[in-house]
Amino acid sequence: MTAGPLHVTLWRRNRALADGCLAHPFVRGLGDGSLDPEDFKHYVAQDAFFLRAYFSAYALAAVRVVERSSVVRRLHSLMRGVLDELKLHEGFAESLAIDLENIRPHRGARAYTDFLLRTAWTAEVGEIMAAMTPCMRLYAYLGQELAVGDLSQNPYQEWIETYSSEDFEALAAELESLLDLLAHNTRGVSFAYRYAIRCELDFFSASLTEGS
Amino acid sequence: MKEFAESRLATGAGELWDLGIHAEFLDAVRDGSLPEDVFNRWLVQDYFFVRSFAAFASLTVAKTPRPGQSVLIAGLSALDQELDWFEAHARTRSLDLNCELHPACQRYGDFLIAAGYSEPFQVLLAIFYGVEVAYAVAWGGLEAQGPYAEFINRWTHADFQAYVRTILRLADQHPHPRQQARFNEVMRHEQDFWCMAWEG
Repeated sequence: MTAGPLHVTLWRRNRALADGCLAHPFVRGLGDGSLDPEDFKHYVAQDAFFLRAYFSAYALAAVRVVERSSVVRRLHSLMRGVLDELKLHEGFAESLAIDLENIRPHRGARAYTDFLLRTAWTAEVGEIMAAMTPCMRLYAYLGQELAVGDLSQNPYQEWIETYSSEDFEALAAELESLLDLLAHNTRGVSFAYRYAIRCELDFFSASLTEGS
Repeated sequence: MKEFAESRLATGAGELWDLGIHAEFLDAVRDGSLPEDVFNRWLVQDYFFVRSFAAFASLTVAKTPRPGQSVLIAGLSALDQELDWFEAHARTRSLDLNCELHPACQRYGDFLIAAGYSEPFQVLLAIFYGVEVAYAVAWGGLEAQGPYAEFINRWTHADFQAYVRTILRLADQHPHPRQQARFNEVMRHEQDFWCMAWEG
């Protein structure tokens, strides 16, 4: 049952939740371009708030393994990936006139970042990886599932192309490889992975219901 | 209790203050109509909450300069006794303390611990006050009678109110621009926590 790499086991075990995200009206709206631009605007700001906490969680994970320089270097390159993702948000912010400096997080974003930071400050590094992996794997999955057909008329083309890109897939696979290296299939690891996907689902819901 | 309702942080929270301290759950405790299984469910989740709050209190003690630490250390010691007391009740009521955390309890605990590590002590004092004052005022509106008299008695004691007053003074002595926003978050979590117990 648990044969194969840990990241595969965890992804399969939580596939129904991932598909729940794919079927979510917010994600469907990105896919067919029908999402209200105001909802997207709101989401970008919340996601930027989230990414700052996500970046901090990598840094706190790196502190745990500071004596393993090869692992630290790999975490640093993933942190560069987050900074690149934040640049994408800054681009959206500029074109959509979003103020990224004064974000009031909605409850979905706050619950997710509180969970992530609590884990990052208190748990062992394997659990931190388990709390962080779903975000990357899920977005790669959503991007690839949405990147079908002609996107040229879709206002969210850039978003879809970013998350369906080979570069993003490589980042997700790199994090999964670190998860396999640093985590064991414990109750805490399993919980952290599952809870993070639940947070993703709640984040999409909050982006629709707690609009600006 | 008036001084708590009129404190800077409570008035600044507006309607969130009322939502944090009033609940159908408490109304049912007051008139003795609360079903025992609902009370037990709340008791187990409250035990989990106190464990997180004790960790938060430790972080606050570590960051707060003397002499403010004294009341917080006393509070931490009281929380430790509270955990013993919960565990004793869990045994007599045959409650499972290894069950899963309810999402509302998980979110409240995550909020406390993440803030405990990330925020300066001035902000932590406002959160600390928020948690304790919500308890003192919510339970303080009840008379110690009916099937839950022991519990009401515990959380309406004059010593507890004096302790909360000291934390309020401490928070007021050390203002910070984020105190209000974080205090407001405590009230939202309190509201969710009461609803969790009531709705299951």
